[in-house]
Amino acid sequence: MENKKTSQLTLLNRFQSFTKHPFFGIFLAAFVMILIQVLGNSGILKPSAVDILANIWIYMIVGLGFTLLLGYAGLASLGTAGFIGVGSYVIGFVFNQMGMNFFVAFILGVVLAIILGTIVGFISLRIEGMYLAIITLGLSEILVEVFKFWTPVTGGVNGVQIARPEFFGKVLEREEVYFILVFFMVVVMISVVNIIASPTGRAMLSIKNSTSAAQAMGISVLKYRLMTFVISTVIAVIGGMLYMTYNRATTPNMWSIALSLNILAAVVIGGSKSIWGVGLGSLLIFGLDQLVLKRIEFFQVYGNASFILNGALIILVVMFYPGGIIRMFKDLSNFTKKQINGIIRSYKEYRYGKQ
Amino acid sequence: MANNKANTLNNRYNHQIEQLKYKMRYQTQYVDVIKEKLDQKRIKELKKMGQSHQKELYALELETLSDLSYLEIFEAPLIKKLDEKLVWQQRAIAQSLKRGLSKNPSAKEELLAKAQLQKDLALKKNNEKKELVHQKFSARSKTEIQLRGSLIAYEAEKARLNKLHEEKNQALLLENEKIIAEQKSKTDISNKQLKEKIESIVKQKSTLNITDTQHEMNDDVILSLRDLTMKFGGLVAVDHLSFDVKAGEVFGLIGPNGAGKTTVFNCITQFYKATSGTVIYKDRNLDNVLLNDFKVHNVIKEGIVRTFQNVELIWELSILDNLLVGAHTLYHTNFFSHLVHTRRYKREEEILRARAIKILTDLDLILYKDWYPLGLPYGILKLVELARTLMTNPRLIILDEPAAGLNDIETEKLVHTIRKIQKDYKCTIFLVEHDMDLVMEICDTICAISFGKKLAIGTPKEIQSNKLVQEAYLGGE
Repeated sequence: MENKKTSQLTLLNRFQSFTKHPFFGIFLAAFVMILIQVLGNSGILKPSAVDILANIWIYMIVGLGFTLLLGYAGLASLGTAGFIGVGSYVIGFVFNQMGMNFFVAFILGVVLAIILGTIVGFISLRIEGMYLAIITLGLSEILVEVFKFWTPVTGGVNGVQIARPEFFGKVLEREEVYFILVFFMVVVMISVVNIIASPTGRAMLSIKNSTSAAQAMGISVLKYRLMTFVISTVIAVIGGMLYMTYNRATTPNMWSIALSLNILAAVVIGGSKSIWGVGLGSLLIFGLDQLVLKRIEFFQVYGNASFILNGALIILVVMFYPGGIIRMFKDLSNFTKKQINGIIRSYKEYRYGKQ
Repeated sequence: MANNKANTLNNRYNHQIEQLKYKMRYQTQYVDVIKEKLDQKRIKELKKMGQSHQKELYALELETLSDLSYLEIFEAPLIKKLDEKLVWQQRAIAQSLKRGLSKNPSAKEELLAKAQLQKDLALKKNNEKKELVHQKFSARSKTEIQLRGSLIAYEAEKARLNKLHEEKNQALLLENEKIIAEQKSKTDISNKQLKEKIESIVKQKSTLNITDTQHEMNDDVILSLRDLTMKFGGLVAVDHLSFDVKAGEVFGLIGPNGAGKTTVFNCITQFYKATSGTVIYKDRNLDNVLLNDFKVHNVIKEGIVRTFQNVELIWELSILDNLLVGAHTLYHTNFFSHLVHTRRYKREEEILRARAIKILTDLDLILYKDWYPLGLPYGILKLVELARTLMTNPRLIILDEPAAGLNDIETEKLVHTIRKIQKDYKCTIFLVEHDMDLVMEICDTICAISFGKKLAIGTPKEIQSNKLVQEAYLGGE
């Protein structure tokens, strides 16, 4: 009897210690994502809402790579959309011209990402801040032009469409692709959390804070800037590949500056140093518009008004919460605690009089 | 040409020796980490056991209490609580009476009577409760013989449990010792192999016989500048400067504002590439190396660490993580093991974390372990920067104005710390400072420069009495 009790206790203790582990939140998030798909299948959630959420998860994956760049290495880039586009076209090209081969597509995509990331990384050694953003923007626009005019590979303005993807002879339904997406989300989240808590993450932060201190401590600025750009680009390309396998269509217009700016906004609004901040930011930027505002009559009539809302949100967050909305939750809990204590005190005074 | 080839071979051997030595150090340090971990585990287990025993003991201990102390321990607090409650009730009644009077002063007597009634009721209820409590506890009464018997039982049980505790402790200690001995024997064997490897490499190295007359230095010199010149366009910041720094001493570089002291530092640590002249350094293998050939981020690997004039800490990392940034070159795991947190990486992290904590305790900074640098006093930040330099077991620490912006007490503490570092960590310290009291107090040798040119070099007394130096500071004539 006693033995049973103690074993239960240790199980509980183990669970408690696991809740403090950084991976607990990640698995919880994956569980919620799977739950959304299950709800969509059972008809409680609309299929269109599940689609929108799936696309948000894809942008969140890309945003996670972008946090390393912006929040940790302190490099502003506006070329993200172009890299996502590259991923989507790689899948389109490989599937249409070489048959359904996931592995070839994956390897090709990662190799392309490493090449692109290295190019941008070398540029970033000479140029910093706003100028780097402008140059990456230019690179992204070049990529969009390539998508438009390299017709034999990219299909020109009409883009590329693929059939349902096949995996080991099995045709994948949309729901199954969703699970692949969740799997990649977990992998990317865990990698980002691991990188942040490792010497690599600390090296990135030290380069952002003080280049000379980093060099004096033996951190090679070249190596880590290149590395950050390559990681971020690889994650963006993986996001593009997931986008293509899920939506099965891509056109050049989708990968313009607007998407890059939206991802930047999502990371800045949510909190550029927290993976949960990125999730929150992408839900706000991509989800608020399509899931909530589209149901309100005013926004149906004036479709672009949601952009104004996003802009106002960015201004407010940058002015009052430079650390992102994720900081707001902490402040909010402190505030409520303070208020509740004040209420209790004033009630005591009313009931018992001043001491 | 042949010499060049020999040099590259020599460098390669040095690198191999360094790697092997690192491996040996790593293995020996890991034994300590395991020891500490096992100790913590043992203490935790014993504590757990003690807690479960304590519960059993409490029941027996209750029996040994005499009636009086039993009442005192269990009844008195309840009574006290009830008393307190009565006070609160009375205060509430008084307050409501006050409010009623201010609202409706005409019905004064009525309200007073009501309040009195309420007070009486509260008192009555309170007394009833007290009676109940008293009844509950007075049911227990024990004779002296009973008490003595239970005391004996309690003592016996206590002794038995203590014995169990001790036995468990011994068993755990034995087990831990076994594990540690196993690990030690393993590391001893592999260390022996590594030593043999190192010896063979050293033998190979000795056959190379490099003849390098250009960079020869005296045996006790660790750093030597020869005709160092640094020009920014037309401005000559450092002009044919040459001096030697002896191993183990505190060397001070002084000069009026704009004399080019910081430029000298930057030339040594390769932040600036010198226009001409050489910087020669004696590395861990007692070979003379030319620092001019090194990249900025490789200088630290030779054991030269610097601090900055205005504190350059990583503001977004805690103090402990800042120290780990200082140990960046000691990590031998690559990016992919950081990506998946392999066991090897975790071990490395543990070892370096233990070292960081040791250094922080040495410098009395352990209190600020998890703090962020932003908002800490300047004196502490300077000390943290000093602690960060110690992470890599440096041979030469270069301090750029360590006392700038500190008050007298902080400066005193800094002097103490620098002395301690010099003694405990056996490093050479090379510093630039404007605070003459500090320089004269701690430096063994001082070099005075002005407009990039050397004025004098010698002991503090010699420098103080030197005419050229006085002129440079106070103006000529």
